[in-house]
Amino acid sequence: MHRRLPVWLKKKIPDMKQVEETRDILKRLNLNTVCENAKCPNIGECFSRHTATFMILGDICTRNCRFCAVKHGIPSSVDINESERLGKAVSELGLKYVVVTSVTRDDLKDYGAGQFVDVINSVRRHNSGTKIEILTPDFKGDEACITQVVQNKPDVFGHNIETVPGLYENVRQEADYGMSLNLLKMIKKVNSKLVTKSGIMVGLGETREEVLGVMDDLRDVGCDLLTIGQYLSPSKNNTPVAEFITPEMFAEYKKLAEDKGFVVASGPFVRSSYKANDLFAVAKQTLGNNLIN
Amino acid sequence: MDFVLPELGKGIDEATISFWMCEEGDKINKGDDVIEMLTDKATFNVPAPVSGVLKDILVREGEVVKVGQKIAEIGE
Repeated sequence: MHRRLPVWLKKKIPDMKQVEETRDILKRLNLNTVCENAKCPNIGECFSRHTATFMILGDICTRNCRFCAVKHGIPSSVDINESERLGKAVSELGLKYVVVTSVTRDDLKDYGAGQFVDVINSVRRHNSGTKIEILTPDFKGDEACITQVVQNKPDVFGHNIETVPGLYENVRQEADYGMSLNLLKMIKKVNSKLVTKSGIMVGLGETREEVLGVMDDLRDVGCDLLTIGQYLSPSKNNTPVAEFITPEMFAEYKKLAEDKGFVVASGPFVRSSYKANDLFAVAKQTLGNNLIN
Repeated sequence: MDFVLPELGKGIDEATISFWMCEEGDKINKGDDVIEMLTDKATFNVPAPVSGVLKDILVREGEVVKVGQKIAEIGE
């Protein structure tokens, strides 16, 4: 008997003409996206709407998390023109909201923080009014690096907790749960008005109580926005899916997280940057203008 | 005419036949979903490209198909 996915994990075939237009711009400007590198199931939907999540600092990660499809190895040197091209791409795509993430660069002195700063400034220079959400690695908890990025005021500063602490050893073995929480705490310490965001994948074998525990930990460090999505294994070499979480359970997680004070996106295909502009719009209404830059 | 696997999205070169929703001899209308395809992270319903009768199903459930590969014949 061959494998079938649950009915709720069904996507529509995208308009390939629009997808190709997005792809062409990204290819011409030599930019990477996490959409392609992480084999995101939403890529057709997002590319056909001319949106993408940029992945800076190359396409090779210095860490090798078992859930992730991004290549692992020795990365190339930092491309100093990347931020300029990214600013132009945002302009060509007409993005009013952009999400920028990166591979982890433990090999760099500043862990890539400076490149995030350059990208924020380039996007602003080329695109007046475009909101910028960044999704960073943990910068090894380095306070100076985190402060440097916060001071350049992205509209949303995201860092994904990814899974429950009990699964870090199996899934996110080179990261530290406490360090990730502390990063989110430090952002608020530097600028209490900056909106913070985190994401968790479910279906890796965690319990409901463990997920609720992560929510509490994230709220304790002042995290504002939360995304909850189904983990889907990108290949046979990655951690297998332990469980397909039902849409009803996702709805319950959403309610529980909202009750704890988060602005939440929760659903099988929710990813940390999926329709990030919509979540930001809800956040603006919910959290009030005093939290936004 | 040839019923070939259309592009399902960026970076998807092949997919597994998950489920045929019709059988050989069934009349199908353009746009009706006839087959469910499986990739690593999602399934997709593939609609009929034209109206006609589904003939000669060439690939069975569980088999891997490349984008552009013929999967069935649609006749008058």
